[in-house]
Amino acid sequence: MKRFWHAREFSTVAILLAEVLFFTWYLWPDGDRTHPFLNAANFLLIFKYSSIYGIAAIGAAIVIITGGIDLSPGAVIGLTSVVTGYFFVEAGWPLVPSMMAGLLVGVVAGLVSSWLIVTMKLPPFIATLGVMGIWRGAGFIITEARFYDLSRQLPTDGRLFGVPVDWIAPAIMIALAGAFHVLMRRYQWGRAVFAVGGNETAALFSGVAVGWVKTSAYVIAGLLAAVSGVVLAVVQGQGKADLATGYELDIIASAVVGGASLSGGRGSVVGAVLGALIFGVLRNALPQIPGATFYDRLIVGVVVIGIVVMDQLLVRRQRT
Amino acid sequence: MPDRLAFRHVSKRFGAVTALDDVSFDVEAGTVHAVVGENGAGKSTLLKILAGIVRPDVGEIVWRDRPLGLARPREALEAGIGMVYQETLSFPALSVSANIFAGREIVGRFGRLDERAMHARTRDLLARLHVPVDPATPMDRLPAAYAQLVQVARALAFDCDLLVLDEPTTALTDAEVDHLMRVLEDLRTRGVTIVFVSHRIPEVFRLADRITVLRDGRFVDTFDRGTTSPDEVVRAMVGRVAAATSRETARAPAPGAVEMLTVRGLTRRPAFAGVSFEVRAGEVVGLFGLVGSGRSELLETIFGLARPDEGTVAVAGSDTSPGSARVAARAGLALVPEERQRQGLCFNLSLCDNLNMPRAETTGVVRIDRAAEAQVAEAQVASLAIRTPDTDRTPDALSGGNQQKVVVGKWLAASPRVLLLDEPTKGVDVGAKFELHRLIRRQADAGMACLIVSSELPEILALADRVLVMRQGRLRGELAGAAATEEAIMYLAAHDAEVTA
Repeated sequence: MKRFWHAREFSTVAILLAEVLFFTWYLWPDGDRTHPFLNAANFLLIFKYSSIYGIAAIGAAIVIITGGIDLSPGAVIGLTSVVTGYFFVEAGWPLVPSMMAGLLVGVVAGLVSSWLIVTMKLPPFIATLGVMGIWRGAGFIITEARFYDLSRQLPTDGRLFGVPVDWIAPAIMIALAGAFHVLMRRYQWGRAVFAVGGNETAALFSGVAVGWVKTSAYVIAGLLAAVSGVVLAVVQGQGKADLATGYELDIIASAVVGGASLSGGRGSVVGAVLGALIFGVLRNALPQIPGATFYDRLIVGVVVIGIVVMDQLLVRRQRT
Repeated sequence: MPDRLAFRHVSKRFGAVTALDDVSFDVEAGTVHAVVGENGAGKSTLLKILAGIVRPDVGEIVWRDRPLGLARPREALEAGIGMVYQETLSFPALSVSANIFAGREIVGRFGRLDERAMHARTRDLLARLHVPVDPATPMDRLPAAYAQLVQVARALAFDCDLLVLDEPTTALTDAEVDHLMRVLEDLRTRGVTIVFVSHRIPEVFRLADRITVLRDGRFVDTFDRGTTSPDEVVRAMVGRVAAATSRETARAPAPGAVEMLTVRGLTRRPAFAGVSFEVRAGEVVGLFGLVGSGRSELLETIFGLARPDEGTVAVAGSDTSPGSARVAARAGLALVPEERQRQGLCFNLSLCDNLNMPRAETTGVVRIDRAAEAQVAEAQVASLAIRTPDTDRTPDALSGGNQQKVVVGKWLAASPRVLLLDEPTKGVDVGAKFELHRLIRRQADAGMACLIVSSELPEILALADRVLVMRQGRLRGELAGAAATEEAIMYLAAHDAEVTA
């Protein structure tokens, strides 16, 4: 079992490395101009943008491992940016309390989703589909289709709490991935998450508090989506209702590419972050290939399917 | 001798595990042939190869002089081989007739389903099997026995002259087994060759003309029913002299033994009502009842999986607020459920994780101590004789009997005060059954209170100090010592049913 997980994360790292090597080779510049892909500034950029998906993908992976699904993280990111922006710009709160208010949005979102799923027994897909519409709509009602401009009141030296803004998102992502990796693998809570996804009935019969485990998963997913939202609001300097539209699919895809099985019981938070980076590299490098502009969505789609098919073949081979 | 089914040097390996090793034997056409062996002996693999689900590494199977394709389930069907699987494969929402014809529907013009023809044919088939069921009845309304017979009907619907059954009686009550036996005997007289796998020696001796024993993937011997004895067959299966499964001496509980489980007026309509009893420390109490008597529902309610309408459950004198399995488990209750695959094990987790789950949940473990858990797992593997090379693998690599031991072991690791067991040896081979019985006894001797539900009277009689009998949702009596005979228990369990019948 342990070896198997390691193998799965290892293969995600291998795909990421292969991807980096490919673009390094393909985009190799003529003469001694700087490499357009392989340079520190560009890598920081990749990290910065992948982190927005990556932080939320950690939560998505946990929900998927319980055997559920959360379609609302994109909407939660949007609403969080709006709420943070509202308190910071309109209400004139200091930055930190405004961010806290944003994070509260995520917790509430998780509680609502899990109430619908655990107590009202709605299928997670339907519950979070509805919830997604509600949060997105709430964002539009608050902003009345305008947006809050945070950038004018943020420090202009590119630093926040003394840390360069560009480093904040990647640092948070890596720290959260590490923390949740340990929680999932070394704590009873994490094992219960895997047990619920693997066989909910058997988990219940073993004394696992199944409802509580599911609730915690959706609350964490909501909270982490809100962290993405707060970070995005600060990094982009905007609080806007239609921010992160369609992100839910990229977030779910990151978790799945990172090894999470939609039938539950299998997955990894580190894998989800690596999955987000795999997409980040593609999104960053493809536009740099002349003529590839119109192909990038298509290529991303093919890559998702390719990786998941490969994973299935691998699992099948290990079974026989 | 053309008229037979011949296995020739069949071998199959799964990774490092040898499931079958050079197995050869013959089945005469028109006879009933039993294949017996402990779990992991290779019986199921052999049947899967015959059905074309698993491809052998080496060897062939010849049926009436024609080698079977062994590549696809379809080929087995076309060769006239009908399979009845251990877990009834069915479409629960579809009708009996739709289940029988699934995949091979009778169609009219433009592919329109000819329901009338299928219903008529189904009615014929069910009449042959003495199943009084309307072809339009949804499958999930049928009792287990009829569901099993529908599988037989499905096999017979397509001119099968070789019927293969994998553990056909595990889910059935004694009366239902009797019905199935009569049907199979009837089929034999019509010239159908029957191969079946079973754990239950009495059934094998009632039905089979010849008995083939497998052990550890190897062919041991084929016996003629007339010239062998159950003892000889069991000896061949286990490869050692099996200890007599004589009744353990029933002992009255030590005077002053603590009441570990106290159930008072427990009611959950419509399953059961007004149930009161107690189990003392060191006692094994048997709970017997026919299917539908409410015994499984009672056990689930005691364990908090369902909320009772009325009544209380107390563990060692303190009331456990009903309605939560977690609260029940933390109070010292443990339930070994009836369906180990669905209710007992997480197949995505290692044996070590499975074995530690209830212990961790009931003792409030926060951070997992891998070294300590490995020790707990190893201790259970050793004391229950779970056959596995290590505890890192997932439970699907284990045979049924060993999986059941894991389910028992995970609760013993949590050191419960009351052990509830629902059909603990269902679908388990003789060897493992014997080990499980000894284990339950050992736990009781160490002071645990055990309540065991079983539909097998000999099991109840062998294990229990006292027997509670349930009928139609109520306790009808309690028998202990010499009064607890098969006849007396059965009388209490079935009395009303006979009167009203």
